[in-house]
Amino acid sequence: MLLDAQTLARLKGVKLRARAVMEGVLSGLHKSPHQGQSVEFAEHKEYAPGDELRHLDWKAYGKFDKYYVKRFEHETNLRSVMVVDASASMGYGSGALNKLEVATTLAGALCYLLVRQQDAAGLALLTGGKWKDVPPRASAGHLNVLLETLDATTPGGGTDLGSAADHLAEVLPRRSTVIVLSDLLDEKQDALKRVLALRQRKNDVSLFHVVDPAELTFPFDDPTLFLDMEGEGRIEVNPREIKESYLEEFHAFLASVKASCAEADVDYELVRTDEKLDDVLLRYLGRRGRRG
Amino acid sequence: MTFGNPWMLLGALGALIPLLVHLFDRRRPRPHPFGPLAFVLRSQKRTASRLKLKRLLLYALRTLILLAIPIALARPELSRDAHAAQVVKGPAATAIILDASLSMRWTDGTSLFERGRDEARDALKDLLPEEPATVLVCTSSPAAPPPPGFDRARLRGLVDEAKPTYGAADLSRCMEMASRSLEENPMAAKRLVVVSDMAASAFRLEAPPPTVKGPTGAPVKPEVVLRDVAEGREALNNHAIVDLKVEPALQAGPRSFQFTFTVRNFGTEAAKDLEAAVRTGETTLAKGFVDVPAGGTTQKALTVRFPQGGTVVGQVTLASDSLAEDDRRAFVLPVPKALKALVVNGAPHATRYRDEAFFVDAALTAPGSPVEVAVRDSEVGLREDFAAYDLVLLLNVPAPSPEEAARLAAFVENGGGLFLSMGDRVNTEDYNQRLGAVLPRPLRVVRTSAERETDPEAETKAARLAQVKQEHVLFSPFTGRAEEGLIGARFYRYVLLEADNPASPGASQVLATYEDGAPAVAVMRKGKGRVAMFTSTVDRDWSDFAIRTSFLPLMQRFAAYLTGSLEEREEVRVRVGEQVTLRPEGSQKVTAVKAPDGSELPVKEQPDGSVVAGPVLEPGAYSVLGADGKMQPALSFAAMLDPAESDLTRVPQDTLTAYFGEETVKASSGDEDRPTVPLWTWLILAACVAFFFEGTLLRK
Repeated sequence: MLLDAQTLARLKGVKLRARAVMEGVLSGLHKSPHQGQSVEFAEHKEYAPGDELRHLDWKAYGKFDKYYVKRFEHETNLRSVMVVDASASMGYGSGALNKLEVATTLAGALCYLLVRQQDAAGLALLTGGKWKDVPPRASAGHLNVLLETLDATTPGGGTDLGSAADHLAEVLPRRSTVIVLSDLLDEKQDALKRVLALRQRKNDVSLFHVVDPAELTFPFDDPTLFLDMEGEGRIEVNPREIKESYLEEFHAFLASVKASCAEADVDYELVRTDEKLDDVLLRYLGRRGRRG
Repeated sequence: MTFGNPWMLLGALGALIPLLVHLFDRRRPRPHPFGPLAFVLRSQKRTASRLKLKRLLLYALRTLILLAIPIALARPELSRDAHAAQVVKGPAATAIILDASLSMRWTDGTSLFERGRDEARDALKDLLPEEPATVLVCTSSPAAPPPPGFDRARLRGLVDEAKPTYGAADLSRCMEMASRSLEENPMAAKRLVVVSDMAASAFRLEAPPPTVKGPTGAPVKPEVVLRDVAEGREALNNHAIVDLKVEPALQAGPRSFQFTFTVRNFGTEAAKDLEAAVRTGETTLAKGFVDVPAGGTTQKALTVRFPQGGTVVGQVTLASDSLAEDDRRAFVLPVPKALKALVVNGAPHATRYRDEAFFVDAALTAPGSPVEVAVRDSEVGLREDFAAYDLVLLLNVPAPSPEEAARLAAFVENGGGLFLSMGDRVNTEDYNQRLGAVLPRPLRVVRTSAERETDPEAETKAARLAQVKQEHVLFSPFTGRAEEGLIGARFYRYVLLEADNPASPGASQVLATYEDGAPAVAVMRKGKGRVAMFTSTVDRDWSDFAIRTSFLPLMQRFAAYLTGSLEEREEVRVRVGEQVTLRPEGSQKVTAVKAPDGSELPVKEQPDGSVVAGPVLEPGAYSVLGADGKMQPALSFAAMLDPAESDLTRVPQDTLTAYFGEETVKASSGDEDRPTVPLWTWLILAACVAFFFEGTLLRK
């Protein structure tokens, strides 16, 4: 069941929307990339310094007189953190859902999926210029906490993704999964670079770039006074006169973000707020599944 | 620069609208919170200079549009001609006069008249919407133009339907008529547009130039616009047949005629080896070549012998030039038929010159005469079968027997011709008794005006012809010096006639009388035939007429007249534009007169029996149809052009300017003087281009 934005908008609260999206995703998945908790043997590898000694296969040593290390499909449970940008600009929406609602719905749905397969899911919310962390846990009761937190989130304040990345780098253990949901409208030039730097710390980083259709197409005709949603800036323009230039700038921005993510080996997913979100997740999970 | 609708320039104030909109349009833009404001800002900065230029361009284009349209509607005009004098500006009631005279047929591939029509259409096109106009096609008999109006389509129709005529046109008269028409319009300014080749023959420069009644009733000069369709040509070269004479050429045999062309070269270059020919249908009967010096005249004679008698319709032609119409001229020529005449000699004599028939025989058998003569004495002659002859001449013959007289009367009734001359063998009483039915008038007694043998003053006392009806076809050639041959003859003795013939009162006609009023020649129609009576002798017994120069032609004309081969009508000389009067003989009726192109002329019967047809509209041979619908060759006639129209000498521009007055005349002709596209069209085009670019800029 793929739900479009209009239908989702009629569902009140992140909880319902996230669940609806999650169910759509599950019905669309043919094979989950995270099947069960069982740790299954995969292969032997010759020992090298640094390998866990506890994985040494002593029976193999007895047979071959060489040290072999066992390797498994899942070595550990996943630890995932959803970084949701709840800055004022995320409150913009020209359609049924604004960017923040889309971001929280996607985050909620992912939490559902993670907790359902007993992985730990946490939140890092950037709202009103402050951090609000919900540490990752795998318990079912924790899911409610996550969803209620997401539901209570309102847009406000500026965007400071750089600080958020630095904060996560400090608090998250290595090899965590970091899923960033933001419109990336951060005035600081190095914000994206700092977010992508999380990947260098062996974290699995995914970026959901949430954009509104109006930002993509700039469909304004009459002279308009554009107001900055995160500051006092304002500008009066004839949209028809600058439309071409704006679209050029904005699409160049999208292209540069995508290129940066590709370069940093970060999963990039452009999310339009009028898209079907379960479709977005299926696309995302499918791509990750193909990567193994 | 002048403006046709100057008040429309007020609309140019509209050009301020873009500026006013820019200054006072303070519409509040709709506020809209927007996330990616930085991109909007960058875009705005990036495009600011381009937008500024675009706005300036838009402002300029819109101003241009709003400026060009009212200026175009104001119909600006540049001064088109350096020769143009001060003219009345503003709207004027206009009359366009299109010269449709023969000279406008001159062509160098495109006829002057075609150009004239184009000029007239242009003149209509150039009129301001508020200018009433009328069109007058100037022919030899122009119709008064309708009052000036605004129905341009009708006027264009008039111009489109106009055709060049073959006649002369009096442009001075046409301008007068157009001026009268313009007076019917209350508009103060008046304008005459003359479209012509400016041939001198069309203007009467000795007459005052046209005037119209001004607002106060005093005559004022209208503006005169001259559209010269032959602009740039100093002269229009032309040669023409200006005259044609056709005369019997007796020296060349019977039925021979000499065609004498008079060719005039109106051009400035000599014409050499021009082919001149006489043709009937496609057959060339005679051909020659003629040289004509520039501005000179030459005559060329061609002799043609026709194989048989009858009415011949043909044309003489000259090598064609740019005006071909005057290089040919039609003719209708009655060629005498071969005649058989029986001469009954009442007083034969061994000495030939004393023979009664000597002079008549000599006259009728002269070279070129179509008459074949058989001379018999009285006894033999009167027993001949008259039906074998066309004509019987009784010369001083004793009265025939009643049976012979009856045969003679029957001969005349059936169409034969009878000539009677007197002499001492003629017994008046016997004649009256036996030949009374065919005598134009009964004979009375012989009168002696002078005794030639005894009276020494007989020559002065002898009677002479006094009144000769030269209008009759029999005597029509005897005018001028030729008349002397008639009136110089002396008549010593002649027979007096009764006042009228009681058998057929009013039938006879006296064509010549002596000084005492006694008839000398009387004629009468009898049945289908004719009778002529000469009351003296045709030898030298009673008169010396037989040795006069007029005797021979008169006897030949008697022969032709009595046999019906000499046309009794006057020679019809009709020019294009004139009416023609036809005089049908006896019971002849004229039902239709057909022009060379097959159209019928209007025909009107007159109380005196003649018929007036016309006016004749084109040159050429016209055929006349009788009551039975058959052609009447005897009444056919040829119409010719007015030679004055062949003279294409043009009036110099300066002369016309001086004539019409420098302050009123305005020369306008030739495409090089007139903008091919009016200025307002360019303005509208500029506005359209500006509109297009404005739209393109707006889309960007």
